[in-house]
Amino acid sequence: MTDATAPRAPINRRALGRALSRIADAMVAEALAVLDGEAGAAREVWRCGITGPAGVGKSSLVGRFVNARLAHKRRVGVVAIDPSSPYSQGAILGDRIRIDAHGDDAELFVRSLASRHARDGLADNIANVLALLEAHDFDDVLVETVGAGQSQYEVRELVDTLIVVLMPGAGDMVQAVKAGILETGDIYVINKADRPGAKEMVAEIASVLRHPQSSDDWLPPVVLASALGGDGIAELDAACEAHRAWRASHLDAATARRTRRRAHVRALVARRLAEVTDGADDALWDVDVASAYHAVVAGLDYPRR
Amino acid sequence: MATQLQGKRILIAKPGLDGHDVGAKVIALALRDAGAEVIYTGLRKTPDYIARVAAEENVDAVGLSILSGSHLELVKLTAAALKREHADDVPLFVGGTIPRGDWNALKESGVDCVFDSEMSLEQIVDEVARRLA
Amino acid sequence: MEVSKALVATATAAELNQAITMSQSKSEAHNAGAARRTTPSGIEIPAVATAAMRRGPDDSAPGEYPFTRGIFEDGYRGRLWTFRQYSGFGSAEESNERYRFLLERGQTGLSVALDLPTQCGYDPIDPMARSEVGKVGVSISNLSDMETLFRDIDLAKVSTSFTINGTAAMIFAMYLAAADKAGVPRAKLTGTIQNDILKEYVARGTWIFPVRPALRLVADSIVYANQESPRFNPISIAGAHVRDAGSSAVEEMGFTLANGLAYVDELLSRGADLERFAQSLSLFFYVHMNFFEEVAKFRAARRLWARLMKERYGARTERAQQFRFGVVCGGSSLTAAQPYNNVVRVAVETMAATLGGAQSIFTCAYDEAFQLPTEQSAELALRTQQVIAYESGIADSVDPLGGSHYVEYLTDEMEVAIEGVIKEIADYGGVVKAIEDGYLQRRIARSAHERKSRVDSGESVVVGVNRFRNETENKTVGEVFESRASTAAEVLRKYEKIRDERDAAAAERSLATLDKAARDHSENLMPYLVDCCHAYVTVGEMVERLKQQWGEFVEPVKL
Repeated sequence: MTDATAPRAPINRRALGRALSRIADAMVAEALAVLDGEAGAAREVWRCGITGPAGVGKSSLVGRFVNARLAHKRRVGVVAIDPSSPYSQGAILGDRIRIDAHGDDAELFVRSLASRHARDGLADNIANVLALLEAHDFDDVLVETVGAGQSQYEVRELVDTLIVVLMPGAGDMVQAVKAGILETGDIYVINKADRPGAKEMVAEIASVLRHPQSSDDWLPPVVLASALGGDGIAELDAACEAHRAWRASHLDAATARRTRRRAHVRALVARRLAEVTDGADDALWDVDVASAYHAVVAGLDYPRR
Repeated sequence: MATQLQGKRILIAKPGLDGHDVGAKVIALALRDAGAEVIYTGLRKTPDYIARVAAEENVDAVGLSILSGSHLELVKLTAAALKREHADDVPLFVGGTIPRGDWNALKESGVDCVFDSEMSLEQIVDEVARRLA
Repeated sequence: MEVSKALVATATAAELNQAITMSQSKSEAHNAGAARRTTPSGIEIPAVATAAMRRGPDDSAPGEYPFTRGIFEDGYRGRLWTFRQYSGFGSAEESNERYRFLLERGQTGLSVALDLPTQCGYDPIDPMARSEVGKVGVSISNLSDMETLFRDIDLAKVSTSFTINGTAAMIFAMYLAAADKAGVPRAKLTGTIQNDILKEYVARGTWIFPVRPALRLVADSIVYANQESPRFNPISIAGAHVRDAGSSAVEEMGFTLANGLAYVDELLSRGADLERFAQSLSLFFYVHMNFFEEVAKFRAARRLWARLMKERYGARTERAQQFRFGVVCGGSSLTAAQPYNNVVRVAVETMAATLGGAQSIFTCAYDEAFQLPTEQSAELALRTQQVIAYESGIADSVDPLGGSHYVEYLTDEMEVAIEGVIKEIADYGGVVKAIEDGYLQRRIARSAHERKSRVDSGESVVVGVNRFRNETENKTVGEVFESRASTAAEVLRKYEKIRDERDAAAAERSLATLDKAARDHSENLMPYLVDCCHAYVTVGEMVERLKQQWGEFVEPVKL
């Protein structure tokens, strides 16, 4: 939380908007140049991921949740990711209007990103984008993913708390189990509580969640919510605070930092790999696999600036 | 497929209370098909909100769709709001039912280009691409 | 190959070449054994229609279930369709002056257009209303405005139609309150409120509340109107805006009938009497240029609606089975290029409407695509209807196209296709879910995108726009949409005066009672809204109070 006595400088939306474009569009070399020597935000910033299958009402839920966070006098930054068209690379980014419905909260900043090359429900350079927001005096940084599936694991390592949103409906549970969703979340939300089967779904999810090995472990709560009516948002907020508190008392900060940094470096290397393979001459793929492999690996690095 | 807008970010917004949004949606789809990342605001957005989104999203252009006859006032208000957000360098386009007699007044208020409904989508995309090149 | 002499006489060389190429390719296609052709809705068009193509016998006479040939036994011989005009602008005073002028000239029906703040439930003082007060219609925020609007007009004698949806219940309540104050019995009131909120979510955008409570308001106002002012039409279910937004004739009908069925379901769930309310339902459409498809669209929908009302809901009386509709001719088929072509379009569309059996027709002025209609263009629009009514002979025999192999074939096919759209929406989970999820909105946006692309590519011919253009045409500078700058200031001044002068305690009491009634789902909200109006509570205040309880509609923006 910020020092209440010192007035906080207002968010410079134009400057931050530009900086985010620079980092989101950056090649790995540029991203590294920005990050080089940067230790990360000195203050404690809470990072939260919101994920779940398409159509479960993630954006509306984020909108309600953001209001709860703002009510704690916290400055909130949100990154909302929508898919890019595989044909034109274009995208329609429509999530944000559900997130900043009032449109005039001084302490809220929302940025939409297209997934572009990312195939994991996230966006290019997402780790850098989140790091940049952290460095810009936000208290909470939220990221809403495209859908569910692979992104569970990727976003898992980038955030402190992962909220998985599901809704009642026959197919969802099966999909959830298949996608391994129930192994990654810190908090589960069953949205659209007014639909039939919502309460049963809460019980069902709770019964199949990973069970704590000891009393010290975190047992993911399952929250019944209705983003449309606003029900369950206070419970969700309380669950997040509880998770933050649990992390603070149970997780070693250095370990957490290492995990985060490992994910960030892996993301950079993966993106660098895409740069090299996408940019390679056709000739590279005419040689045998081992030779191509070594050529690609040799091409990954460049001298540190 | 045409991709002349790849890498561009464009805000398509509906200021005021006018509820006719199909034109705006068709343009949004056409820009997307040309490779642009389009932020579409939905209905009833205030000029202040539009300017704020333009700044946060760091868009390359703002397109306003207005069919209520309030284009002169709404464009002026939006241009002023963009200035307050230090985003008055972002090109401003307007489409909808805009009488030709108002085109000059709009351009004096800071509009770069006015589009009418009889232009083809290709013409509109080309013109946007030319101005963002 | 034959090219008409008239074309040769006037065409440029380029046009002539085009015409020659066209007629060549046409004859080639003919020789090749007829390439497949479809109507704009995708219905297969036979080169020659025959009786064998009919799907089943339908020998019903006009005025007889299922009313394929019209709802009246004597068609237009007994009564012509109603000729409609649309007006209303600026302040209540300005509109009142205009209405009295029109009534003195012999017009019997008034049509009230309301400004966007009134339509969206914002008082003139609301920041959201900024720059829109008195713009596309008149500003009516409280009973005093309604009284001014109808000053020196006998509400018992005039039929008033309000284009209002999101705040229809409030505006209707205000009209009743104005009648009460003028000492006019409610039972004597005639007119229409559009009151079709579902299509606002889909195509026109003046929604306020979430879908479910909004449906309750629609049902409450219908039931109340049936009781209090049985001659007043409490709803006009409109496909026009869906069509104008870009959907096909089949989608237009399918979406509109699906909306109609949703209202019927809502009314039944609130315990309303089917035979009673069903006869007060009316519908409203656009006519577009594909003549035969448009004629068939109305015949097909009329038959389908009657079948649904009878077979699905068990409606027994004919009045409750009948499909009554008005149309607009013009709309988005009008072009700014070569505007005089629009006169022809409106005439063709008016013919399709009359041959389809419309009960009322509004004809657009040819210059509406680019300016406010002039007096001459508005008059010409009305004359177009009169020429067709009194000179063409269309009105002389009932359903003159009935029995045409092609029209009957298309009627059958359209009916199947329309029913298919209704089923598709039902399968999705119903209209309400389809709107909440943005499914219908997305479909319309995509249809509009496809339609625009077909015009751009020349696949759909629009004369003067993508074919037979006049490159030297000097596009007329339209008359600028003008509202007196003083209008908004005057509206605001009056608004603040009423707020200062009214009995504040009475206003708050009536609002509190409304709030309480809204919490009880079985209550009809109309009497409470009328009480609010009598207490000079504003439209914005009533809306705001209900919003606190119901919330606002959140637009699903997915394309």
